[in-house]
Amino acid sequence: MPAGRLAALALAVLASPSAIADPAAPKLSPAEILARMEATNNDYADQMLNERLTVVDVDGTRRSYDLTFRQKGTKRLVEFTSGESNGMAVLVEDRNDVYVYLPGFRKVRRVSASSMNESMVGSDLSSDDMATVSWAERYDVKLEKEDDTSWWLALTPKPGVESNYGRIVHRVGKAHFLQQETHWFDKAGQEVKRLVSSEPTSYDGVIRNKLAIFSDPRTGHRTELETTSAKYNQGLGDELFTVRQLQWGR
Amino acid sequence: MFDFSGYEMSDVRFDIDDYRGPTPGQGYTFSLNRNDVDLKLRITPHPRVVGVVETRLRFYGFVSSQTLAVADLWDASQVSPFTLYLDQAYVAVKSLPLSWIDLKAGRMQVTWGSADIFSPNDNLNSRDFSDPLDYTRKVPNEMLEVDAYPTSWLTLNAVWVPIFQPSWLPPSAPLAFAVQQNAQGCLTQFPAPPLSVAQNQQLEGLFSAVNPCALSFANPSVTTYLPNNALGDSQVGLRARIAVGGLDLGLNYYYGRFGFPVAYDASVSVTPGSPQTNIAYDAEVIYPRMQVAGLDFSYSAPWLFDIGFVGDAAVIFPEPVNFALGIYENGSPLLTLVQPNVSGQPFVKATFGAERSFGDFLYVNAMYIHGFFDEFDDAYGLHDYVSLTPEFKILHDRLKLRIAAILDLTDLSNVVYPQLTWTVLPSVEVMLGAFILGGSTHPSNPLDYASRSKFGQLAAGRDDAILRVTITW
Repeated sequence: MPAGRLAALALAVLASPSAIADPAAPKLSPAEILARMEATNNDYADQMLNERLTVVDVDGTRRSYDLTFRQKGTKRLVEFTSGESNGMAVLVEDRNDVYVYLPGFRKVRRVSASSMNESMVGSDLSSDDMATVSWAERYDVKLEKEDDTSWWLALTPKPGVESNYGRIVHRVGKAHFLQQETHWFDKAGQEVKRLVSSEPTSYDGVIRNKLAIFSDPRTGHRTELETTSAKYNQGLGDELFTVRQLQWGR
Repeated sequence: MFDFSGYEMSDVRFDIDDYRGPTPGQGYTFSLNRNDVDLKLRITPHPRVVGVVETRLRFYGFVSSQTLAVADLWDASQVSPFTLYLDQAYVAVKSLPLSWIDLKAGRMQVTWGSADIFSPNDNLNSRDFSDPLDYTRKVPNEMLEVDAYPTSWLTLNAVWVPIFQPSWLPPSAPLAFAVQQNAQGCLTQFPAPPLSVAQNQQLEGLFSAVNPCALSFANPSVTTYLPNNALGDSQVGLRARIAVGGLDLGLNYYYGRFGFPVAYDASVSVTPGSPQTNIAYDAEVIYPRMQVAGLDFSYSAPWLFDIGFVGDAAVIFPEPVNFALGIYENGSPLLTLVQPNVSGQPFVKATFGAERSFGDFLYVNAMYIHGFFDEFDDAYGLHDYVSLTPEFKILHDRLKLRIAAILDLTDLSNVVYPQLTWTVLPSVEVMLGAFILGGSTHPSNPLDYASRSKFGQLAAGRDDAILRVTITW
């Protein structure tokens, strides 16, 4: 085979998504797949997203809200920039240190951690859902099935872990180890929440799904979270995730 | 960079009682027909500089008078009166002069303390109760603020307020000192001044021999005396906040004045005549100095069902105020009565609260309050209250039912304020609500200044039905 054609073939193989998960390579364990998925989810030092959150009611009515989302490690700063919550901002330092700027009170106040489970503006998303989640810390994992494009991982809570869910199933894309789908089942085995992500997009070299749809399979109510712009690894300072910044210029 | 936001709010209220107005049986009428347009501009000419301007245009929706001269029908200020407010106008500079210091100057509203609304440590701005239903609003004022963040766990604040601004009172406030008359115009009751019961009995004795129908007793004239604009009349606030684990702790100090007026002196001028004796009651109120030393905390308890706790406690060191009442007949003194109204002894005000969300369906906030924000341990004393506000969220937050309720444990008067808010579309909300006051409209002892019902007295306002539409951008 001429050298030029061999080089072109090698290049095509290397560029092929399937090369990233080479079938000839040693098979990954479920824990390794989960770890790679989490690494993909968190492979940035910081992120700054502009999001459009659209709540779709069961009758088809759509309500959209714009928000900006900044994250560094476990710290997040979320600001609503449209809708009836315009001006409200939430700082999460960790699960028990949550502060909110309330425009009506013109003050920053600590809020109870119980608010982390509240849905945001009636969506299927809570503040906890927007957190960086380490599944491996809290769940045991098994491989449920796989096909050419995906692995299906089944997670169950580790002994001693309190969870609202009896089982969680992730579909992990073999191409980029992206979290493509997640299905949450309650302890009775009923699916209570679902996430479907799509439109993988490169943002500054970081591959992310542009669209994430959270839904309640029981009712059909869903929330679409579209990333309208994203920047990663901008060197966001820790001072951005402080009460000082939360109340700055409000 | 410019950021432009604001809201438009239309607020219509209808009085649903006919006994709490200035005249009993006044009837059921619209009490509010108001439109507010709030415009907020945020300018960031430099990453470390921000300027904020927030104005509010308020159209009252009522003609200025029920009897308007034809000659005034061209005048918009008479036919469609309005007010322009400047709620904020300040510049803030970050990291000046040191990286951990921010400066802020201009017209501001600063809120201190952990408890919502009822913090005794929140004194830098007086309260705006011109609309009692808008009870979170404060009177903006010009200030200079220095915020220091020397460590990640310590925040220091210093605020200087050059000129004192008093609290705004509701339109019903004068009813606190209005005389009561029957349908024939005969005097039935006059408001007890802040004297002892024995002194008020003495005062009553002066007029007991007179036919109440022969007394022409106009409503008292009350004049406020504001502090001078001297440097010594300015106010200062100092605060240190510490974040320790999941606990925020604040130490606060304030030197300034109490924002609500306190009775200082009064004169009763009696002019005998026929067929009626004229009585004029003129009173003066002042804003006493005070120092406030307090602490506040907020904490979220993961070990106790994730309940959030807040607390504020403050020791107030008040300027003593003696109330003096002089009675004169044709200019000659008949009787002088003096009683300490504010003793000058330190007293404590405190608020403790807890809150928790229960999934997506329910949020509950509960508070215990010792000393309302308009109480200064004067002759009225300090009452104890409990406040409970559950908020139910239905249809994925499209409908919210909030029921704010507060009960005065001292006299059992109460307020219930249910609000049903429908988010029609993002940024558009419609609220249907009611504001219901409970308690006796008359003091339990007409001679006891302290026996007025906190929320039952007429000065607390009227029961209203509310329709409010808001659009936010």
